[in-house]
Amino acid sequence: MDRAIIVDGLVKDFEVTEREPGLTGAFKSLISPKKKIINALKGVSFAIQPGELVGFIGPNGAGKTTTLKTLSGLLYPTAGFVEVLEFDPWKRNPEFLKQISLVMGQKNQLWWDLPAIETFELNRAIYDIPTRSYNENLKELTELLDVEKLLNTPVRKLSLGQRMRMELVAALIHKPKVLFLDEPTIGLDIIAQQKVRDFIYDYNRKYNATVLLTSHNMGDLTNLARRVIIINDGKILYDGAFEDLIMQYAKEKIIKATLSNENNISNLEKIGKIKKLSFPEVVFSVPRSAAAVAASELLQNFPVDDLTIEEIPIEEIIRKAFKSEPKK
Amino acid sequence: MKKYLQIFKISFEEEFAYRLNFILWRIRNVMQIFLTYFIWSTVYSDPAKQIFGYDRTKILTYVFGIMIVRALVLSARAMDVSNDVASGNLSNYLTKPVNYFKYWFTRDISSKVLNLIFATVEFILLFLVLKPPFLFQTNIAVILAFLVSIIFAVIIYFLILFLLSSIPFWIPEIGWGSHFLVTVVIVEALSGSLFPINILPQGLQSIILATPFPYLIYFPVEVYLGNISGWALFGGLMVAASWVGVLWIFLNVVWQKGLKVYQSFGG
Repeated sequence: MDRAIIVDGLVKDFEVTEREPGLTGAFKSLISPKKKIINALKGVSFAIQPGELVGFIGPNGAGKTTTLKTLSGLLYPTAGFVEVLEFDPWKRNPEFLKQISLVMGQKNQLWWDLPAIETFELNRAIYDIPTRSYNENLKELTELLDVEKLLNTPVRKLSLGQRMRMELVAALIHKPKVLFLDEPTIGLDIIAQQKVRDFIYDYNRKYNATVLLTSHNMGDLTNLARRVIIINDGKILYDGAFEDLIMQYAKEKIIKATLSNENNISNLEKIGKIKKLSFPEVVFSVPRSAAAVAASELLQNFPVDDLTIEEIPIEEIIRKAFKSEPKK
Repeated sequence: MKKYLQIFKISFEEEFAYRLNFILWRIRNVMQIFLTYFIWSTVYSDPAKQIFGYDRTKILTYVFGIMIVRALVLSARAMDVSNDVASGNLSNYLTKPVNYFKYWFTRDISSKVLNLIFATVEFILLFLVLKPPFLFQTNIAVILAFLVSIIFAVIIYFLILFLLSSIPFWIPEIGWGSHFLVTVVIVEALSGSLFPINILPQGLQSIILATPFPYLIYFPVEVYLGNISGWALFGGLMVAASWVGVLWIFLNVVWQKGLKVYQSFGG
């Protein structure tokens, strides 16, 4: 098997009922509901190799989650070909389901009123995990995610971050070969985000698991994914190495300097395009190749206290990638 | 099989997590029995009086029989399925190697076991308080037929609930409306949990007996009381079995169609 996931020309349409606001609207939709077709995916194609960790990014409603749901067999494709681990996800073959896992940041599978360990025990039975490997997996996962002490606390008493980590334990207790993560860091604080991220990275490495994750959170991608797929409006805009994306859309670098006095300040324009100047801070945007020269000139000719050269923020790169798509 | 045992266990534990809820539900059941008991007790205040072919002993046995049969048949969890479908929670089960029907059937059974335990205690208490005349069935054949009719009743109710719960695939906002209509209004009226079906006019009776509803409560209770036997018993069991078949096929068709339009809401 040289491809863990194959998607070819995937199309998914939803039928939704539109409703005008207010009571009158409610009555109108009761009598003659207005149906509208939404084209969530308009012919998406990509392939992922076993062991790859791929970031799936795009604005809200771009079709990221719809793709993940189709890959995990929840949604019936309107058209196109989908294959995961050589199975047709929609058929939901138990052998297929035993090898995948879908984690949705805003959905929980843990039993709300019971301690998390109960859900794990249930999953042990559902996935038919031998007791020994279950105990090993449980120990390992709870240690990695730092939740051993919370196993017997009712889920409703856990914090969001603790719960999310428990969700990961529940989702991974059967050691899936393919992992679909939908916004795994949503709503978490920076530290919790980092814990979850490190864990995903380790899991991918250690078990050579195929991971497909969607995120709004650019940090997730900078730290995790070698390859990114950008999706917008149901179509793929970019599919390739993360570094190439930066090269393609981040042709410039950012130089930030702090000046010690206002001498010579009117000559700053000679260094490069000034993005922002509010003394003592000055921010330039210079071509990638000229960044080093510009920085040294700045240091030689101006009273610089501090200087940094940075990449364009990833959010901006994505925005540029989206803009370059011609509007219909 | 092991997985369903585990589902049974966790389901049972969860019922205990909702202790207050459960107790209120039991109180509702006891109140209902009281109400039905006193209505009929008043109607049949004269022990010699016979109405609709029932005398005081028979009707009060019927009322007490309802108590146990209700606990067995009408305590079910499968109405929660509609919520799973509408909220997208169903996704959690569809991505796991578990049969969703069996999953809920197991949860139904765990709920029934718990309810049966309580119903038995309530039965003994009410029995001691009200001292009603009650027929203890000793005929093994009748008890066997009663058990078969109970199994059919349990399955029919499960299938009805599941079918109702499939509506949100198409109309996600329907929620409890349809359940209220069917489980509270139709089931209560037509299943025989308020009055025996055979007190109704003959024509109406035959119509109701052709629907699946009387096979939930009325039919099993009557079988227990020994009022239905021989060919009538056989025929009744056949009708119940046919309903099981029809509803099962119908549910499978509806469910497969539902999954195709399933949108996995919420996230």
